[in-house]
Amino acid sequence: MIEFLIFAILFASFAIVNLYRFIKGPTAADRIVATDAADIMLSCAMVLFSLYSGRGIYLDVSIISAMLGIINTMLVGRYLDKGRWVKKHDSSENNN
Amino acid sequence: MQNQKMKKTKFPSFLVTFGISYLFWILLTWSTEPQELVAGAIVCVAVALFSARFFVHNDGTAFGGPSKVFISLFYSFVIFMIELFKANWDMAKRCYGGCKKVNPGIVKVPVELKSDYGLANLANSITLTPGTITMEITEENGQNYFYVHWIDVTKPSGKEAGDEIKGVMEKWIRRIWP
Amino acid sequence: MTALRIIIDIFIALGAFFALAGVIGIIKMPDTYCRMQASTCITTAGVLGVCAGALLYAIFVMHHPATAVKVVVIAGLIFITNPVGAHAIAKGAYQHGIRPEKEMEVDDLRRDFDE
Repeated sequence: MIEFLIFAILFASFAIVNLYRFIKGPTAADRIVATDAADIMLSCAMVLFSLYSGRGIYLDVSIISAMLGIINTMLVGRYLDKGRWVKKHDSSENNN
Repeated sequence: MQNQKMKKTKFPSFLVTFGISYLFWILLTWSTEPQELVAGAIVCVAVALFSARFFVHNDGTAFGGPSKVFISLFYSFVIFMIELFKANWDMAKRCYGGCKKVNPGIVKVPVELKSDYGLANLANSITLTPGTITMEITEENGQNYFYVHWIDVTKPSGKEAGDEIKGVMEKWIRRIWP
Repeated sequence: MTALRIIIDIFIALGAFFALAGVIGIIKMPDTYCRMQASTCITTAGVLGVCAGALLYAIFVMHHPATAVKVVVIAGLIFITNPVGAHAIAKGAYQHGIRPEKEMEVDDLRRDFDE
């Protein structure tokens, strides 16, 4: 029983360690990758804490967090996206 | 007069969207009282009426038979899990060893699949295995190509890199969606 | 019963092992795209280990179907939505002009596309 609490604290501390890359990261892509990973690890920690405490509400919070975590990543990805690429003409001759 | 008209909502796509959102409602409330079920049905009909045209474009018969469902379950729970564990072990060795043994590069890989579902499934499988990320899909003269970021380029770009990256996954996906 | 508890603990410990590998990779890898590769290690093996352990516990110890179904849904949601975000962020970062400091040896995107 107690080992679920230990592993939950372990996952939460992993998420906090991950925020180092969020603070230091030189580009926006680094930051969003770090926050996405921290989000997913907090979701795992909530699953484990729900098993430890026996309360189902943490599982609902974890489902919503896992669903909404994609929106961060998609939003920043679409923001960095500049539009269509133009294909070079000579690429069809020397493919592989 | 606008050129771009909104697509019409087809009835099968409405049904699929309604079913999925109703399943989520039952999952989140987790009770079988009639009040909850009726309220959920009303909310889900409203949601499906407004948003079904964005989610499902064809009529949900892409699988085409129970044998293909069985093959896809076998693929995703046995074959893909073995590939996933091998790639994860390789990545974990690389990370615990100090992150020095990396040789990143972007290779162009030919793909034999034709249908949209197959291409999306293979691209997602490649992205989920650690060590490879699909970045772009193009088509040249009827042949589809993936641009894959690979963390340890050991084979030259082209067919050999494709065999190394895709492994047995493409063969199994071709049996589900050609 | 004790054997089952040991199996559950082994699953969760495997998840924590791979998640630690991913965290080390995110902090120490040399460039942006390699960090994305390392974060995939967390979202597959870490989530899979934790959810497998939680599923076994919910079925065989708690006898509670709601918990089991919700754990399966969490794992499925993360597995379906994560590669979509990975595609978006990798392509967006490349189009924005983020390049690794050390030049990549093989770069077919730069060869084939104008920017």
